[in-house]
Amino acid sequence: MTRHAGVLAVAVLLLGALALLALACGSAGFGWGTNGELLLLRLPRVLAALAAGLALGLGGANQQGVFRNPLADPGLTGVFGGALLGIAFLLAGATDFTWNHRWALPAAAFGGALATSVLLVWLGRGGSSSKLLLTGLGLNAFTAAGTLLVAARYPEARDILVNGAAGDWLGTATLELAWLPILGCGLAALLLLTQAAALDRLALGEDMAFCLGTDVPRARRQGILLTALAAGAAICLVGQVAFIGLLAPHLARALVGPRHRAMLPLAGLLGAGLLLLADTLGRSLWPQTPLSAAAMTALLGAPAFVWIASRRHE
Amino acid sequence: MSETLLHAVRLSVDLAGHTALDGIALTVAAGEVVAVVGTNGAGKSTLLRACAGLLPTATGELALAGNDPRQADPAWLASRRAYAPQHPASAWDFTLAELGALAPSAAEYTRWLERFGLGTLTTRRLSQLSGGERKLAHLCLTFGALGDAYGKVLLLDEPTTALDLCRAELVARAVQASAQAGAAVLVATHDLAWARSADRVLVLDEGRLIAHGPPSAALTAELVRATWGVA
Repeated sequence: MTRHAGVLAVAVLLLGALALLALACGSAGFGWGTNGELLLLRLPRVLAALAAGLALGLGGANQQGVFRNPLADPGLTGVFGGALLGIAFLLAGATDFTWNHRWALPAAAFGGALATSVLLVWLGRGGSSSKLLLTGLGLNAFTAAGTLLVAARYPEARDILVNGAAGDWLGTATLELAWLPILGCGLAALLLLTQAAALDRLALGEDMAFCLGTDVPRARRQGILLTALAAGAAICLVGQVAFIGLLAPHLARALVGPRHRAMLPLAGLLGAGLLLLADTLGRSLWPQTPLSAAAMTALLGAPAFVWIASRRHE
Repeated sequence: MSETLLHAVRLSVDLAGHTALDGIALTVAAGEVVAVVGTNGAGKSTLLRACAGLLPTATGELALAGNDPRQADPAWLASRRAYAPQHPASAWDFTLAELGALAPSAAEYTRWLERFGLGTLTTRRLSQLSGGERKLAHLCLTFGALGDAYGKVLLLDEPTTALDLCRAELVARAVQASAQAGAAVLVATHDLAWARSADRVLVLDEGRLIAHGPPSAALTAELVRATWGVA
């Protein structure tokens, strides 16, 4: 465990350094401003990126663990799509209500994510994890189409939803709007960390996990609920980002092995780092035409992911 | 008379409209090894899974150490029975040492690694082992989970498949030792020679119990010919 603790400590330090750098970078130039005014301006965005990345990394690791499939990612299995569709329904139904009640947006996203998760498990029940993934891909396409339909029918919600689908909401983060989702991400992350032992045993299949004393239905229920909470909270901050939930757990497994006690926290830290790095680069490299966090994440993450995939033995 | 640890009456299992088990009766007492034999698809694995508490929809009477495994608390059940599936697999590429962290007692698991000759391979990942070594590693989890065998139920589904002669013998001895230590053992196998060394044999065919009793009485030449089509 000493090596694992070392890796985690290095990850925390690097993340801290990256956060300081992100607070200093932006279209107004490098630095925190004479009285720290630039720092205060950038703080909500940096906090939002850290919290969302943490939840996305942990949520992805958790879903891969529950479904015992390295391709599971809430971004691919329709859980993020469901969260965004929940927000779309809320915006279509009651725009005023959305902005007057801070909890409405996260609640709608959580509801959408949870509904899609439950549908995913129900439709994919009794089959292999490939069946579950294929079901998820279908749900993902369906929820995306639903969001676009709402965007087309309700012009006042169109820009918000299109930006959300492109993972481009970080720029709009204010502490006033973001504190509740940030708290949600943190809570989901803490609770997800408690799933490590159950996820380890689930790796051996549900039969073996049960025979080793794990309450499998309970572990599955908790995993699905917490992934929905993480997805719902993260979506409110950043919009739809598909790649972090896939990449962060793979990277973490490559660094500390597959045991979830070390892998889960590292996947969270790597997710936070990756999203923050992507957002910082996206808004600093081309200040006039910034790139969304989701696009930059894919640009950075895809080559890394292909490299990891090519190193797999099986 | 030793204590009966596993008891079933009219145990039936319906899997997706197909009757996988049809009115099975069995008892296994502490200290006993009972072999389950039959052709592919006869219902051996289903019987073991039902006894392990893995098939809550199984009908009929079932008792494991006095409680119904279909309704028992998973943690209590895990403390009274250990199960090894026919095709153990892990979604992630654990090292043998990491796999031990999944066992109720890592120390017990490590002892079994040594007994089965895997003690020097603890840093190897599952993907770096042969099929037989992987199977043995998972059996170490099962035997490790059994711990002190006294008063417990051990359910093994074809534990020697994929193993070489020497390692199959090691597993057979471990099964015998567990029974001697007071476990009730139910083991499914295609190895009729091994089944003949058990205390009793259950012969399944299309989900039905067609013979049971001491090996000499249950595994007659006529029954072997009729069931497997060989002499």
